[in-house]
Amino acid sequence: MALLEVSNLAAGYGKVEVITDISFSVEPGKSVGIVGPNGVGKSTLLQAIAGGVSASAGSVRLAGLDILGKKPEDIVRLGLSLVPEGRQIFSGLSVKENLALGLTGRKDKKGAGAAIEKMRELFPVLSTHENHQAGMLSGGQQQQLAIARALISEPKVLLLDEPSLGLAPTVIDDVFGLLRQIIDMGTAVVIVEQRANLITTFADETIVVRDGHIQSRLTPANAANADSLERSYFGAGE
Amino acid sequence: MVQSILDAISLGGLYALAALGLGLVFGVMRLVNFAHGELITIAAYTLVLTAQLPLILSIVLTLLVTSAIAFMMELAIYRRLRGVNPAIMLIASFGLSTVLQRVYEFIFGALPKSAVVAPFLRGAFTVGGVSITISSVITVILAIAILLGMGFLVERTSLGLQLRAAAADFKTARLLGVRSNRLIGAAFVLSGVLATCVAFILVVQNPQVNPYYGLNITILALVGIVIGGISSLRGAALGGFIVGVILSALNTLLGNGRVYAYSWLFLLVLIILLVRPGGLLSKGTELERV
Repeated sequence: MALLEVSNLAAGYGKVEVITDISFSVEPGKSVGIVGPNGVGKSTLLQAIAGGVSASAGSVRLAGLDILGKKPEDIVRLGLSLVPEGRQIFSGLSVKENLALGLTGRKDKKGAGAAIEKMRELFPVLSTHENHQAGMLSGGQQQQLAIARALISEPKVLLLDEPSLGLAPTVIDDVFGLLRQIIDMGTAVVIVEQRANLITTFADETIVVRDGHIQSRLTPANAANADSLERSYFGAGE
Repeated sequence: MVQSILDAISLGGLYALAALGLGLVFGVMRLVNFAHGELITIAAYTLVLTAQLPLILSIVLTLLVTSAIAFMMELAIYRRLRGVNPAIMLIASFGLSTVLQRVYEFIFGALPKSAVVAPFLRGAFTVGGVSITISSVITVILAIAILLGMGFLVERTSLGLQLRAAAADFKTARLLGVRSNRLIGAAFVLSGVLATCVAFILVVQNPQVNPYYGLNITILALVGIVIGGISSLRGAALGGFIVGVILSALNTLLGNGRVYAYSWLFLLVLIILLVRPGGLLSKGTELERV
């Protein structure tokens, strides 16, 4: 059964509709990638699912429960976390304080200590810097902090908006290695990415978004064909 | 000289408390709540009108009344306007401030209400031939104690962490589970508590309460917030303190020319802002590496 089911979702800002008729689903331990040129509404899609942007049509079901129209702070308590674009860590707060903020979204406060320990194991670099100001971390470390902060509430579904943005290739490998571990632990993951080649080989399914709607769906097998990806991405041959 | 230093510190502490009350609300709502002055005014009226009661009871009543009005402000006015253009929120707060002044005038009259609050704080004592007023010493102690208490709340508690996070980026804080209504409500209640503290110190020094009693200190506290850095609670408190100390120093140094104290203060403020446009503790001063 799918953990996250997005059906015919439409959302935007005011009267301007940015995404229309978007449908996809993610099962536990699976991942969906979302690619597309700049400005097609990929971030709006994630924000609409997480409650940050109002949806005008469609439905979003989390473990069978309709979450559309709920506040972001309630959605995180129901088990869906978003790592926003640009990481948005609190640079003036310490690493420890950033992680503590992640605990705010936990339903089960008793398991907070165990969740922190788990994050220390998964992200050892954060333990060594836990009393440092988060703004002093490198880009890769900040990305790890943003992911750890979202994971500490133990979400069933994790949304990530461009986790590779601004990172060196080796650091991107590290981040995606961590994401693989998170998926293997049973979390359903949705990743918006600019690097189409990276995400099409990583995700179980990749959705190509153009002009606010789904242009095509790719699996790692058919995305390996460069022409197929190019056609989907740029609409070549239409 | 000792008295002047104490006066400067006590006025600085007083303005720091007022600025912190404004800064708490600004942090979570990006709202400059002009009506904070009217919270100070209603707290001062309540203290004066309940002066016959035991002091502790009078203070508790004032805390309850002021915090309740602060919470109602949010619930009845600002919550309904949340998400609208900041300029509209600003005008709304200015309108609310004016309406409350008229309401106070209607209820309490235009003439000042007066009563002696905490009479044991009046008078002076002598140390080494220097006369020091009791109220200035108590004000310094109270301001330091309240600022330390607020510092503990903001720096060491979960509510404080959420307030600091919301002040930096409310949208991301909500994505992490920070409950917006609860946090904004708490910020308004805390601003009511701080308004009560400010009113108590003011009323001990000047018990002539009129409908515009809290206006002047609120405007100067706003200046303090801008000096300290508008998006930082520490900055708000520091800015308020600096304004208070400068104003007190100017009043002492200018002698008969103290009528120009505000002109000199605003000139200094302009110079500070030209050097540090974002305020003394603005984000530009934070060490950041990306």
